[in-house]
Amino acid sequence: MSVALGFIRNIERYSLVGIFLTMVALFFINILIREFAGTIASDFAWIEEAVRIMNGFLVFLGLGLALEKGRHVSINTIHSILPTKIAWFLYKIIDATGCLFSLYLVWQSYSLVKFVLMTGQTSPTLDLPMGWIYTAPVIGFSLLALRYALSFFGIINRFSNQGES
Amino acid sequence: MLLIIILLAIALLILGFEMFLVLGVPSLLTKEAYYSTLPDAAIIQKIFGGIDHTTLLAIPFFIFAAHLMGSGQIAKQLTGFIRTLIGHTKGGMGHTAIGGSMAFGSVSGSAPATVAAMGNMVYPEMRKSGFSEKFSLGLLVASAETALLIPPSITFIIYGWMTGTSIAKLFAGGLAVGILLGFAFAVMVWFEARRAGIEAGQKTTWKQRLIAAREAIWALGMPVIILGGIYSGFMTPTEAAAASVVYAIFVEMVIYRNFGFKDLVEITERSAISTSIIFILLAMGGLISFYITLAQVPTQITEFLTLIEAGPLEFLLVVNICFLIAGMFIDPNSALLILVPPLFPVAMALGVDPVHFGMIVTLNIGLGMITPPFGLDIFVAASTLNKPVLNIIKGVWPFVGVNLIVLFIITYIPAISLFIPNLIFG
Repeated sequence: MSVALGFIRNIERYSLVGIFLTMVALFFINILIREFAGTIASDFAWIEEAVRIMNGFLVFLGLGLALEKGRHVSINTIHSILPTKIAWFLYKIIDATGCLFSLYLVWQSYSLVKFVLMTGQTSPTLDLPMGWIYTAPVIGFSLLALRYALSFFGIINRFSNQGES
Repeated sequence: MLLIIILLAIALLILGFEMFLVLGVPSLLTKEAYYSTLPDAAIIQKIFGGIDHTTLLAIPFFIFAAHLMGSGQIAKQLTGFIRTLIGHTKGGMGHTAIGGSMAFGSVSGSAPATVAAMGNMVYPEMRKSGFSEKFSLGLLVASAETALLIPPSITFIIYGWMTGTSIAKLFAGGLAVGILLGFAFAVMVWFEARRAGIEAGQKTTWKQRLIAAREAIWALGMPVIILGGIYSGFMTPTEAAAASVVYAIFVEMVIYRNFGFKDLVEITERSAISTSIIFILLAMGGLISFYITLAQVPTQITEFLTLIEAGPLEFLLVVNICFLIAGMFIDPNSALLILVPPLFPVAMALGVDPVHFGMIVTLNIGLGMITPPFGLDIFVAASTLNKPVLNIIKGVWPFVGVNLIVLFIITYIPAISLFIPNLIFG
């Protein structure tokens, strides 16, 4: 299990780093082209759309890792006040709710992917099928559901990483 | 049913559920209870639509730049230069803390990033120069708030995107408000220095200042790129944010040789996760504002205000109270996402200027970040400086008081917020 989880973590990490650095590079190139090679700037109109799509993937791919690292915003002062047994019970409720919520959104996103692919709708400049763009929440909420489930079954201890935020 | 949903949201908040669950679960229940005829596809479209906007791309880029500068030399160089300029005054280290936060704010746009960057750099020096622990902690946490107001500011970007207000105008307005807030804190430092008998710092010669300026030249280039780029019309705020990341990587890796590729990967990952954390809140905010609009909440508030014959001044007082209470219990971005959609249309109907309203909202958001019990910056300072939260809370109260005075001034004298935007944009 830990090998598989380590594998998923690495994929998430390297995808996040790769996507983010590419976003910065593309946007910067866009400025340079516009200023120094204005005549061909219209050929690069796709950059803005590409970066926006990448940002969507960046946001959703980071959800699971953020949860595992205890980085999501929460007002968790009450956790340190409650007796251990009650806090444990509360953690399980939070994990179960989070998992169900994420799974519901996976189902909704997946339905939307199928529906939009069927309509044949494409993105304005890249001409990408819009359905593929909506796979970002499918993947992201799946990774989030996985972390909630792992926490529920005690395989990861995300609450020990959680600072008060 | 609506009461049950609101009570559920409050319960989730108090019980420490992740904030996106606090926003998301009640939103889904609202859909099932009141708008079940709407297609389910709208849920994901609104969630995705809440983040899919070019303007919002400035946020990940500014977060990335702030992490790069906070981990490297740029923040240190900027603070060092400010110290040579004002460190010799009475309570000089206190003024340096404010000036350093404003300078870092002028390149980062995030208050928590400013607390984290300035904390370890300035706190020991403040204590050494004679300021009490309580005052030093309070000042560090409070002066980071100027980062929200001094351009660039992530809060202005979110507000501008939500309301369609020009981000360049908001940035211009924030400059005057940020300077006023910094000045108010500087007055407090002056009084504290007198009270505690803190001597003036060592005098700096102009030669030393020139040397410090030369050393900090690369760091000083950052505000020039961001603000110069935006106001010369050379770059949009989003492009300026991307350029600031490239510049920060270049300066930290090539000029200062402060970190290598491995560090860059680590900082990129950290920045990506920070982006994810903010954007999932924006995504859930997209869902909430959809239902707020459907339920015609702004119209109902306007009708109520007309009924009780309340004018803009009374309304702004209510706005301040709402944000203040929300800021005490929920994080700043969530407060923005929940309160701006119903209140902004009312403000417009009452003739409040959108830039002026943005200043009031952002100042309130900043105040929320330093207000106990859940001010985000208090916890960032506690973790950065390894100090008990209670010590910071004790120190922060006088600054909350001064902040309230500044908020009152900004609310009732719109000219302070508007004179720079009017000067630049006519």
